[in-house]
Amino acid sequence: MLKKAKPGHWRYLALAPLLLLLNGCAKHSAWWIFNPQGVGAKASYDYMMIDVVVMLSIVGITALLIVWFMWKYHKGKNRGSYDGKWEHSNKLEVAFWGIPIAAVAFLSWAVAVHGSFAVNPYNPTVITQHMKPKGDPIDIDVIATDWQWLFIYPQFHNMAVANELVVPAHTPVFFKLTSTAVTTDFFVPQLVGMIDVMPGMRTKDALESSHLGTYQGIAADYCGAGMSWMLFKTHVVSMADFQHWAKGVESSPNTMDYAQFNRFAEPYINVHNKTPVYGHVEKGLFNHLLLEVMNGKKWPLPMFMTENMFHYLKLQAAEHRA
Amino acid sequence: MSSAHEKPVDPDQVVLWSDDYEGHDVISTRTFGFWMYILSDGMLFATLFAAYGVLSYSHSYYTGPTPAQFVAPWYTFIQTMALFLSVLAYGFSMAAMKTGSKAGVINGIVASMVLGAVFIGLDIHDVLRMISMGVTPEVSGGLSAFYALTQVHAAHIFVGLIWMLVMLYQILKKGFTEDVVGRLISLRMFWQFQAVMWVFIYVFVYLWGYMS
Amino acid sequence: MLVNLPGPWSPLLGRLALSEIPYTNPILAPLFVIIVLAGIALVVGITYYGKWGYLWKEWFTTVDHKKLGIMYIILGLIMLFRGFIDGLMMRTQQMLAVGSGHNGMPLMGAIHGYLAPFHFGQIYSAHGLIMILLAATPLLVGIMNIIVPLQIGARDMAYPYLNALGLWITAAAVFLIMISLFVGDFSHNGWFGYAPIFELAYSPGVGVDYWIWTLELVALGTTLGSINFLATVVKMRAPGVTWTRLPVFTWTAVSANIIALTSFPCLQVALALVGADRYLGTHFFTAGFGGNLMLYTNLFWLWGHPEVYFVILPAFGMISEVIPTFSEKPIFGYITMVLASFAIAGVSWIVWLHHFFTMGMGPYVSTEFSVATMLVGIPTGVKVFNWTFTMYRGRLTFSSAMIWSIGALFLLLIGGLTGMMLSIPAINYMVHNSVFVVAHFHMMLLCIVYAVFSAIIFWFPKVFGFKLNEAWGKIMFWLFSAGTFLVFFPMFMLGFMGETRRLDWPFNLQWAPWFDIQEVGIAVYVLSVLAFLWLIYVSIRDRAENRVGADAWGTSRSLEWITDSPVPFYNFAMVPHVNHRDEAAWRREHGFSDKRPEKFAAIHMPNNTPVAIVIGALTFVIGFGLTWRIWWLTVAALVLTVLVMIYRSGKGDPGYIITAEEMEKMDRESRQKMDDGHAPLPKGGGYTGGTVTAYSAEVGDPGSQSTPPGNSRPLS
Ligand code: HEA
Ligand code: HEA
Ligand code: CUA
Ligand SMILES: [Cu+2]
Repeated sequence: MLKKAKPGHWRYLALAPLLLLLNGCAKHSAWWIFNPQGVGAKASYDYMMIDVVVMLSIVGITALLIVWFMWKYHKGKNRGSYDGKWEHSNKLEVAFWGIPIAAVAFLSWAVAVHGSFAVNPYNPTVITQHMKPKGDPIDIDVIATDWQWLFIYPQFHNMAVANELVVPAHTPVFFKLTSTAVTTDFFVPQLVGMIDVMPGMRTKDALESSHLGTYQGIAADYCGAGMSWMLFKTHVVSMADFQHWAKGVESSPNTMDYAQFNRFAEPYINVHNKTPVYGHVEKGLFNHLLLEVMNGKKWPLPMFMTENMFHYLKLQAAEHRA
Repeated sequence: MSSAHEKPVDPDQVVLWSDDYEGHDVISTRTFGFWMYILSDGMLFATLFAAYGVLSYSHSYYTGPTPAQFVAPWYTFIQTMALFLSVLAYGFSMAAMKTGSKAGVINGIVASMVLGAVFIGLDIHDVLRMISMGVTPEVSGGLSAFYALTQVHAAHIFVGLIWMLVMLYQILKKGFTEDVVGRLISLRMFWQFQAVMWVFIYVFVYLWGYMS
Repeated sequence: MLVNLPGPWSPLLGRLALSEIPYTNPILAPLFVIIVLAGIALVVGITYYGKWGYLWKEWFTTVDHKKLGIMYIILGLIMLFRGFIDGLMMRTQQMLAVGSGHNGMPLMGAIHGYLAPFHFGQIYSAHGLIMILLAATPLLVGIMNIIVPLQIGARDMAYPYLNALGLWITAAAVFLIMISLFVGDFSHNGWFGYAPIFELAYSPGVGVDYWIWTLELVALGTTLGSINFLATVVKMRAPGVTWTRLPVFTWTAVSANIIALTSFPCLQVALALVGADRYLGTHFFTAGFGGNLMLYTNLFWLWGHPEVYFVILPAFGMISEVIPTFSEKPIFGYITMVLASFAIAGVSWIVWLHHFFTMGMGPYVSTEFSVATMLVGIPTGVKVFNWTFTMYRGRLTFSSAMIWSIGALFLLLIGGLTGMMLSIPAINYMVHNSVFVVAHFHMMLLCIVYAVFSAIIFWFPKVFGFKLNEAWGKIMFWLFSAGTFLVFFPMFMLGFMGETRRLDWPFNLQWAPWFDIQEVGIAVYVLSVLAFLWLIYVSIRDRAENRVGADAWGTSRSLEWITDSPVPFYNFAMVPHVNHRDEAAWRREHGFSDKRPEKFAAIHMPNNTPVAIVIGALTFVIGFGLTWRIWWLTVAALVLTVLVMIYRSGKGDPGYIITAEEMEKMDRESRQKMDDGHAPLPKGGGYTGGTVTAYSAEVGDPGSQSTPPGNSRPLS
């Protein structure tokens, strides 16, 4: 038997994190999920708060009840009265089913249904409903390779930039995404939720932000050895800056046709965080690629990359020096 | 209603041990278990059907042939008949068991086996025909699913034939012991179940594939 | 038909070659040496003490559900430990590797930290698979194996031989995944695998093959087990055990095994199709040639989601036995408790899509699955409320079993809260594939681990006749809980900081302090493992003081507590006649606890058989042969398996009879043993000519090499 120290007291400690979950330290930018800077991410955040408040009220009360009963009915303490026969109560049973049913009904309507439409990646109403008539939306074609990102801007001379994304503020950006080799996930925690990027398939997503800044983009689904390095910074810049930047990229002498893309798509771990730009990529590369992959085109992984990274690292180092 | 002490209990009347408990019935327990197995086998086929369903859109056949171009429903109909007759023969065999006729049982099973072997033979022949036409599972996702579903079924039939062979031996060696009878009942369920699965395959894969 | 491999292949050894053994790896090589030395020591020790015969007769060939259960549990605990070591390695890697520089301290081919990316990938993949399927599942199956027949008054499972087969096939899976440490490598694609990265082009090694065949073996073993459980409960109940008198644990075993029986075939098919892609060059899940990679994800989670409820339901059952016992009250709301179990099992089938909301399937489909997922919260909530109100007006004893169960409740609440967040697409998009998900499911899965520890402490005296040390049980609980808190609270926080899962290199330096806290948690976990070992040691050392009678806790409730502790091999000298749902409590209250049967009857017991372990070994060979593509070996083992099965079927098992007089004598002995703790336990005769004792031997009782009971005669 335990002596004086009742487990009950420790329980409060265990509950503390739940409180923290709620009020969130949203001021630090380290808390990306609590510090949304994009329209979609903000909507998700709001829905999350509703859900947490509803659930926490029920779960929290249940936890408190458990603790209270533990305290009150502790054997030998004589705080509560014992009734060894009490095992059923219609009223309580109805409440036990009724409360969660009501809560689920509310959450289904208020959060599941509404939320699914609000941030539907293919047509997020939080963005599309308030789309300004002026200021054309921007399209970006996203191609994920093993293990880099290529962002193509069809409206801007089909220019492209790898491993870095630049978008203008206050402007809806529509993505089409596909992958050369394996499945991964496109994710900018503070701006837009995840969407799968799959080979031979096209998915869509949309982003809008009014907060200038630089946000981390991540390959969120496991796609092989280079996954941790498959990062891209997302810069939300003013329209003027964006135009200026685009001019610069468009005039880059670097271009990319399908043959060059073939080389680009070979497995490569972007350890040195390179962000090459291409003034122009072959028109229709995205669709061409999609078709090729559906026809069985692969960029297979060499055996040595799955076994011992030494060899690969040497190659990388050599290339970097060159 | 179930509280631990409501009605007064008379210690002289109360029964604490089941003095005349006979134990469980071996055959019915075995049969129940076999039903459970059939259920899981059904799930296995259901999953394969689901895979086939997903992989039978026209783009799933890639540029390769679609079933309409290579299935032969009439040929497969002969297979169907062979399998049905095999089940029927097995049924005769089980009827003979009720009358205790060893010869009847053995004849039924042999007939059932021969018909099952015809089914397998036709299947192998059909597969060889398709392969010679270049219809192989490597061609497209659709063909992969086609082969998976039909050949997993064929593998079940093959296992059934081995099982029948073993049962023939056991009947001859041991006669109708509890074990042997139980196994014969299970085998019947197995065989009928494979026939039912075949009906689905015939309809959804062969006929449907032929028509679309 | 067979595909072209990217590496060498020989007819004799397949892909196997000396270079596949990582003898240069600074972690694996020493580990290998240690394990080999330990193995040799074990073999020498067993030989020295002449225990091979004992092990073979009493354990390796046994068909006794209790012994099989014990072996399942030992297997599960060892794998829990292995999984923990994986967890330790992952946590250490992330702690070491975090940061923005890219020149860290490359060790062993790593770019950061001490693990190369693929090595890290193998670790979490093996960890996930091992923990869910080779630790949690065997632990739960083991406990169900021991308790379910006892709770329904049966002498054994419906098919004792099948039961042994299930164990040894599971053991084969364990061997296969363990050998992947030292021969070749393991899959790096996560425990559930992704299409198309598991295709040969992107995973050219044997890792994925190990993954496929390990999973196939566990799936087979578990399916066999589920058939057995269902048949046992349906067909083997003692007179008086009506459906409304089944203890809740047995009910949850039924609902869980219905899930297992119907869902594992999906997994088997999904993996077989992956195998076909890799071995035969088909195009089920390829991106090109008309394959459909989303099909895999659907098929996998069609099993994967029901699977998580397959593992949580028995855990719920255990909690449902422990809480009433230590509240000295019947379970509150028995009927709704049972209904809730089946509601969970039913709904578990229609929610699989919540694992990939981010695939972009449109708001209508997403919403449907979101709502279906939330529905599970309703019956689960009912269960939680019922447990809470079981404590209400109770007389609570906070024994170590009870605090593990209450701990499980809190984990369930946190896991449920976070699960309800994940189930909403709008929220899921932000935290899917983040460590927030990882933290969610660790709460749930640790809820199972807590319930298992609770159950082990709770039923230990029933099986071995003495209690585990209470104080050390509690010390272990607090250490383990501190570890859980320190590892997983930061993990939730990291989820909100946007850390995605499976990062071998966490790039954000702001995460570093949290990693350090987690590492402290790992250290505390290590202490808890030591506490566990010490707990076992002191309990065995002091077992004489902790002997118990039939009703070990004095407040026990269900039928298993009326038979002797330790349970004799025949379970009940006479099949009980059951009068009440809480039979033990009912007998206690009416003063029948000390009543023993007066009349005895002859009983029929199954014989031991070596066939199960042989088939288990053969399935291991099949898995190994397939992994390395050693075709002759695979075919040979397969043919042998079939022949052994046919041989066994020809031989059958006539079993043997224990006469009424012997039974009476054994019952007396068993009673004596309980009373003074020294008299030898009753012995039974086994097929291999050996003896089946109850559990005297592993607590150091040397009286295990005696002869079969006087005049029990073999049947044939
Ligand atoms: C039942 C399931 C289960 C359990 C119990 C655990 C327990 C633990 N897990 Fe696990 N985990 C998973 C299932 C589980 N996990 C799954 C499915 C994944 C996903 C894999 C994937 O991504 O594919 C995962 C992934 C996962 C990650 C990967 C995170 C990422 O993707 O970035 C990490 C990292 O920290 C982790 C850590 C831990 C830790 C520290 C524990 C600790 O709680 C462990 C505590 C255990 C002990 C302390 C051992 C106690 C043992 C004994 C007392 C017995 C001793 C006996 C002998 C010595 C014989 N887990
Ligand atoms: C034992 C295991 C277990 C259990 C029981 C659960 C239970 C639940 N899980 Fe979890 N889950 C996993 C194991 C488990 N899960 C694993 C292993 C994964 C990830 C695998 C991987 O990716 O590697 C996962 C992933 C996972 C996802 C996908 C996340 C993602 O990848 O994006 C989702 C999303 O919906 C989810 C939801 C839920 C829900 C809603 C429950 C519900 O059943 C919870 C119900 C419980 C409660 C709700 C609390 C008690 C109720 C009350 C106190 C009453 C009040 C309740 C209401 C008002 C509803 N889980
Ligand atoms: Cu989902 Cu492509
Ligand atoms: Cu799920």
